[in-house]
Amino acid sequence: MKTLKWGLLYTAAFLAAFVGSALLKLNSDPTHGKYNTRWDETIGKAYTDLPYGEGAANKFDLYVPADKSQDAYGLVVYLHAGGFTSGDKAGDAEMLEWLCSKGYVAAGINYTLFTEENPDASVYSQSEEIKAAMPYVVAAAEKLGYKLDRMAIAGGSAGGCLALIYAYRDADTSPLPVRMVFEAVGPGSFHVEDWGIFGLDQSPEAAAGLFSVMSGQALTPEDITSGAYLDAVKPISADRWVTKDTVPSVLCYGAHDKMQPFAASKPLVAALEKNGVDYRYFVAEHSGHGLQNDNKVYMEYLDAVVEYLDKYMKD
Amino acid sequence: MTMTSKRIILLAVIIAVGFVLGRLAVREVLNLLLGGTLFGGNIL
Repeated sequence: MKTLKWGLLYTAAFLAAFVGSALLKLNSDPTHGKYNTRWDETIGKAYTDLPYGEGAANKFDLYVPADKSQDAYGLVVYLHAGGFTSGDKAGDAEMLEWLCSKGYVAAGINYTLFTEENPDASVYSQSEEIKAAMPYVVAAAEKLGYKLDRMAIAGGSAGGCLALIYAYRDADTSPLPVRMVFEAVGPGSFHVEDWGIFGLDQSPEAAAGLFSVMSGQALTPEDITSGAYLDAVKPISADRWVTKDTVPSVLCYGAHDKMQPFAASKPLVAALEKNGVDYRYFVAEHSGHGLQNDNKVYMEYLDAVVEYLDKYMKD
Repeated sequence: MTMTSKRIILLAVIIAVGFVLGRLAVREVLNLLLGGTLFGGNIL
């Protein structure tokens, strides 16, 4: 009887330790609160769902600092993740609040997602929406009494891809001078040979299908094999827009990423290196798309973001 | 060492093993979804 009681105790203790540690890990903050902020009216105020176009998704949230004493402010735009098919700016509230607490006007912009209801949406159309949103963001900030004179753009995953496109392709037409970009795990190039995790390097049909959806142009397997697809994907390929004038960039990627290929970050980094751009490139060697196994690298990435914001976004 | 002492030590070992396996299980599930290695990087 006594042995049975101890056996039950061992089982219960094991299960409690197993489940408890799993829940702790799931809810742990890799930054230990370093990049969170207390958010109340002494820090800033959020204005949500401000419109920038006719589409249902054409909305942005604006976070403005409580301190209105500056002559001009820097704008930091953070674009949400979600594989171009899901996600919402509300998911980045903590990041936007933290940026606002640093003295920036921060904006999260929604874009029309590729869904059954919106089959024509693409990375290209989303990038055009982000571009179209910027004058509205600037006007809304100024209407609230915040004059903007510079900006940074950032994002995670799909948002990182769109941030890179804006910073590299659209900076010349931006209503504010773009000073820098930071992003994590966003596709930065579209070369079939780098997309082997989805088999695109072995299947022109699969490559034509995925790159058609992403570029918004109808590509054929022949376009893939002939290399003609490269012109079609140029508008969404950050690496193809890098010049010696490209803005400083802070990037972070997971070496085992299953959602977007790690190899696709290489042409981007090669282009930044070749053009002498001021950039930092962090690789989470044991992680995938969530950078989940390399907290130290993730912290180094965020520390570099702060360093670059201080360097390029201050007066 | 009494039998009770031995049982308490075994209980502590079982809790430690459960704690480690719980974290590794979460890590492996995330690795399957997102990519990643079971060992290296974060301690657990």
